[in-house]
Amino acid sequence: MNAANAGIRVNHLQKTFQQGRVRACRDVNLAIAPGELLVLLGPSGCGKTTTLRCIAGLERPDNDDAIWVGEQNITGMQPKDRNLAFVFQDTALFPHLNARKNISFGLNMRKTFPAAEIRRKVEATAKMLRVDHLLERKPSQLSGGQAQRISLGRAIVMEPAAFLLDEPLASLDAALRVEMRAEIKQIQRKLNTTMIFVTHDQEEALSLGDQIAVMNEGVVLQVGSPASIYLKPANLFVARFIGSPPVNQFECELVQDGGGYGLRCAWFEVSLGAEAATLIDAVGGKVTLGVRPEFISIGSEGGDIEGRVTLVEMLGSRSVILIEAQGREIRVSTQGGTTVKEGDPVQLTLTMDRAFFFAPDGRALVG
Amino acid sequence: MKRSQATSADRWLIVVFLAPTTAFMVLLLWYPFLQGVWMSLFRWPFLGTPEWRGVQNYVDFMAADYFWVALKSTFIYSLSTLFQLGLALTAALVLNQPFIRLQNLWRGVMLMAYAMPPVVVGAIWLFLLDPGLGMVTHYLLAWGIIAEPIYWFSDGVWARWVITLVATWTFWPFMFLILLSALQAIPGSLYELGEIYGANLWQRFIHITLPHIKGAILVVVILRLAFNLAKIEQPFQLTGGGPGYETSILSVLVYRFAFMSGDFGMAFTVGIFLVVFTSVLIFPFAYLYQRQFKPTL
Amino acid sequence: MALRDDRSTPTQRFVTYAALTLLLSQVMIPFGYVFVTAFKTPGEVFEVTWLPEEWSLEAWRDVFVVNEFHINLYNSLIAGIGSAVLALLISVPGAYVFARKRFPGREILFYLIVGTLIFPFILLIVPITITWIQVGLYNTIVGLWLAFQIFAVPYSIWILRGYFARLPRSLEECAMVYGCTQFQAFYKVILPQAKPVIISVMFLSFLLGWNDFLFSNMLTTGDGPRTASVAIYVASAGGERIEWEVMMVMTLITGIPPVILYILAQKHLSKTFSV
Repeated sequence: MNAANAGIRVNHLQKTFQQGRVRACRDVNLAIAPGELLVLLGPSGCGKTTTLRCIAGLERPDNDDAIWVGEQNITGMQPKDRNLAFVFQDTALFPHLNARKNISFGLNMRKTFPAAEIRRKVEATAKMLRVDHLLERKPSQLSGGQAQRISLGRAIVMEPAAFLLDEPLASLDAALRVEMRAEIKQIQRKLNTTMIFVTHDQEEALSLGDQIAVMNEGVVLQVGSPASIYLKPANLFVARFIGSPPVNQFECELVQDGGGYGLRCAWFEVSLGAEAATLIDAVGGKVTLGVRPEFISIGSEGGDIEGRVTLVEMLGSRSVILIEAQGREIRVSTQGGTTVKEGDPVQLTLTMDRAFFFAPDGRALVG
Repeated sequence: MKRSQATSADRWLIVVFLAPTTAFMVLLLWYPFLQGVWMSLFRWPFLGTPEWRGVQNYVDFMAADYFWVALKSTFIYSLSTLFQLGLALTAALVLNQPFIRLQNLWRGVMLMAYAMPPVVVGAIWLFLLDPGLGMVTHYLLAWGIIAEPIYWFSDGVWARWVITLVATWTFWPFMFLILLSALQAIPGSLYELGEIYGANLWQRFIHITLPHIKGAILVVVILRLAFNLAKIEQPFQLTGGGPGYETSILSVLVYRFAFMSGDFGMAFTVGIFLVVFTSVLIFPFAYLYQRQFKPTL
Repeated sequence: MALRDDRSTPTQRFVTYAALTLLLSQVMIPFGYVFVTAFKTPGEVFEVTWLPEEWSLEAWRDVFVVNEFHINLYNSLIAGIGSAVLALLISVPGAYVFARKRFPGREILFYLIVGTLIFPFILLIVPITITWIQVGLYNTIVGLWLAFQIFAVPYSIWILRGYFARLPRSLEECAMVYGCTQFQAFYKVILPQAKPVIISVMFLSFLLGWNDFLFSNMLTTGDGPRTASVAIYVASAGGERIEWEVMMVMTLITGIPPVILYILAQKHLSKTFSV
């Protein structure tokens, strides 16, 4: 199964721990195309790392046909025979070996190449990662970022069928994290090798992934491009998990006023198109309305909601404004700076054609 | 479905790796132990034919006039653990002070007695305490503290305390080493926090130091209680268990019966009493440790 | 770590230094006197003096020429080395499995072994002696090596297991992803990490053999592998006149090597013990 650049399929993966008492993966299904970069995203404990470890062979799934690479079922195979490279969050560099020997560890074990060839490959990889000057150092002499590069090098040099990365950037500081994630994406593009990247950081997921799979409580809730995950969340959980500041939610009820439709939400009412009204009516008329902070505009009069500014956060390229209305907090985000000040009375207008409607069971209503 | 995580390769490794340990445990610990229990039901001479006695060895031992004498000396001897703890804690606190220089040198000096064979240390004290030419007797006489030489090893009252104190002098560095490393593991920021909130030296000791080394203290007390009652080369060497049975702590008695009288059945009978005695002594500390730290695998 | 000022008070310093002085002198004075005695002539041993009239090497010569103490030292050395090697062979694989693998009965097995740490192992000398006579291990060096394991193995497993358990699990996992079998992961990755603890265990079980008296005395006779400890005991129980200056030389020769070893191993020991 050494077909480089293989697709990976996860088929109804189930994985329980402690004699079935803990269900890490209930029913995970994924299909990653050859050369694709898939990000597995979810809160801690959602089963994303367990899924990745099952793919690597570090955990044994409960069902025997869970993991496929290309057309081959590898569920029962030893990790070393899978030709998959794994990058650990804590780098897992071997402390007794220098960087060079860490990178060449897998090739040395495999014994397919002569020493000179291994040496060449290690140096080429190190150069690509800009750590060729660090090869003689022991892991204890490397910074966090350098260590993670070496650990990446150890994976890259194997020319595996796919890379599996388990939160590799989680223990780095913010600036380095941003730099490294761009680099990882470039390398993945250059090598054109399938990659699965696990993270709990939604910003990292959006910036990296060709596809993002959002997981919660042992199941995949949605798979899609970053844009579709962000703009068309399949359910309330995905909508809330993705996006910073988070989506605004209101509990609403469908009402009919004169010829048109509207949503009555606690203390305010917004009008609604007929198409949306039909969808909402079909689930009984009660929905959760979700509006992302950037789809609410601030004015001084004529809006849907009246409120008062409680806090303005200037974040550089945009501003986040917290508004208090009827005891509720509403988050609004604007491009660039803003003229409103804390204490100002404001009127908010919702952009209803970018709003989400969720049925009582959390499912998104789409036409 | 596979519930356990072990793959077949895993299972092989476990079996192969456990084999030597299990063989050791069965052949060198539990089989001899059970064999000993069996032997304790016999009059079992060193070289000769065993003769069935049932529980007579046990009955005889408990009825013997030296039974309570032995228990009493065993108890006094086990007080050594307490003295060791005092010395060790003091030394560990002293060496943990940041302003002490040459820490490593002093630590090396302090553990000298512990590193050496106990028989070596025993021989040294045999010499130093010699009533005729020993340094201790000499100075005590010279300074007028005693009027005539004391026969440390053959005077029953003194002999008991001598073996207890020599054991203390020999074995306290074991506790010292472990307590010092426990002290060094306490983050300095805790003491700074204590200072900022107005804790004085004593309060910092009670509220910061002690809670952090409590586990280590319990462990060393448990281990030392057990070790002290089993490592008996010094009492054996200094007094041979005498005069009479005054310093025959239970384990010396085991050795005396086995090595000197060649009565192996009786020796193991005494050994059983030693197990019970040790367990009773250790129990409260083990209970405290278990309750507080729940050692997990 | 940030640098810190020393803010100790003069009283604190005085008390600490006073305690240090007391602690050191209770160790140094006896050993100092032993050292001096080793260089006295037989006649001068009877006087309590700190500076011999003449520094004599007579006792040192007697130890080897008359007492042939080097034979006992050699026996102690072999006893110690064998004890260390055997302890490693038995306890390293076992401790690794206890620390890193799950299997039914793990807890019980572990406590059955380590529980014997607080078991007064001295009483096992009774059945062991009888068995050793029956199987021909009595009065042999192999018999001693095996007997030392009664104490060395539980102790070693206890120390090793704690250390193995603290190593990150990702090390083996990583090794296995990059081409190792379970066994290769153990010896290529875990064993090199365990160097300090392996040195500690080797050192402690060597000393166990070197320092032991009870087993060595019980399981050997004068014509067998009699170790230095036993020779010192025999000399000290010598009856008529004990040659104290010779005894003190023996104690120095036997006692100093473990101290040096302790100092050398300290770096590794401190990495091992964190109760």
